[in-house]
Amino acid sequence: MRDTTQELERWLHAGGKFVGQIIVMHTEGGWELRHADDARRGELAAFSKWEDARSLANFDDTGAYRALKTAPNLRHGWRLVLPDAQAVRLALDYFYPAMIGVWLAHGRGEIMPVEFHDTLARQTGMYRITQKLTHEQAQRLIAKQCRTNGGCLKTILWQISGDVAVPLLPPEKFRAGATPVDSMPLLCHEGCNFLVAAARKMVKDESPAP
Amino acid sequence: MFQKTDSALVIAGHGSTLNPDSSTPTWKLAEEIRGRGIFGEVHCAFWKEEPSLRQILHCVDREDVYVVPNFISEGYFTKSVIPRELGLGEGPTRIGRHLVKYCDPVGNHPRMAELLLKRAAEIAPGVPPEKTSLFIVGHGTDLNENSAVAAKREVDRIAALGRYREVLNAYMEEAPLIAEWDRLATSPNVVVVPFFIADGLHSYEDIPVLLGIATESPGAASADRSSVFAKNPYRLRGRTLYYASSIGTEAGFADVILDQVAAFDARHTA
Ligand code: SF4
Repeated sequence: MRDTTQELERWLHAGGKFVGQIIVMHTEGGWELRHADDARRGELAAFSKWEDARSLANFDDTGAYRALKTAPNLRHGWRLVLPDAQAVRLALDYFYPAMIGVWLAHGRGEIMPVEFHDTLARQTGMYRITQKLTHEQAQRLIAKQCRTNGGCLKTILWQISGDVAVPLLPPEKFRAGATPVDSMPLLCHEGCNFLVAAARKMVKDESPAP
Repeated sequence: MFQKTDSALVIAGHGSTLNPDSSTPTWKLAEEIRGRGIFGEVHCAFWKEEPSLRQILHCVDREDVYVVPNFISEGYFTKSVIPRELGLGEGPTRIGRHLVKYCDPVGNHPRMAELLLKRAAEIAPGVPPEKTSLFIVGHGTDLNENSAVAAKREVDRIAALGRYREVLNAYMEEAPLIAEWDRLATSPNVVVVPFFIADGLHSYEDIPVLLGIATESPGAASADRSSVFAKNPYRLRGRTLYYASSIGTEAGFADVILDQVAAFDARHTA
């Protein structure tokens, strides 16, 4: 049987440190997670249960809800002290849902990216209208929603369709290998529901009034 | 109770892009069931949040996976969206290295009536049921979701027990309207239980406004939303009104999830 927690632990012992905006530090009693900006700060509010990760992950510094957990707006000012790798894994699953699993699966060659065009083609109900999104609109939409600076930290593994790329974002945004070795790549293998919802809004806003 | 340490459990919820309340009961259930050590691993997956239904199988170590939808009714999400997003066929489905066993939604379980009765008794302790009208409130209007049908089914089950003077179904946006509760109910005591998975805008704000126990003040409710449940009972329109939180926050849902897993096995190993 596979053991995600064990693989995470192996990575941490081999020098893995950063997951998104979080730094994972080895301590005497186990592990400590902080916002990487707070790595050297004192006076941080201390938490000690992996379940605390959910409320820490849910709100940004202004108290607003973080619907997209890979948005670069993780809140500051806390440290989460955890006893073992199992607790680190569960906490990271709250901070960056699915990211450990997708990263390991990608390493094994099991991730099959889905073209954005196919993601939209699959939609039903109120999202069916997104099938009208043009390639040009998709390029603008993705450049805005997925941009690392202010949008989303993930590396994009998919194309819009065939060889239609997203030329408005830098090439590193699409290269998993561009992540430094001490950082876990956060990988997007398929356009998320936030992007699909934004596509719906764009199609509605930009279609000529009937 | 069974042991399935070689299997994984995935609880599938709706989730929300607007607030964390929608997924809270689903996460809590996962924590509760994980704590019991029945499954080798327990995960959540959502339609509107991450981990998404498209990502979750990459996170599951064990090959044998039960998926239980944490939904009140069988409808668009349980019949179309979840199977489509996971890539499910009929019965147990092989998806990559996983064998996925898709169970019935929690709201379908016969024990819902019992949980609704428990919630009603807790919110109005010592209040005699024979002098009480019990409302089960569904969303309504969401034709594809059949939430109105599900609420009516529970009302019929509870009414058949003959404990409450009357048991009524009501909806937010279709008749019978919960806003008319005082005209619909004939008893001096009225107990209202929302038949929803999560507490959120509907249970914190919309239904209280329709009942007349809160005023419409967008945002005000977010300060201390659960206070609406702490102020019971309400005396208005000549009645005594007790308002409960959504049924999905009931701890007994953990057992319902386990039952839905057992029911899947019973159906497919016979
Ligand atoms: S589609 Fe992927 S990269 Fe873009 S915002 Fe969603 S998760 Fe981030």
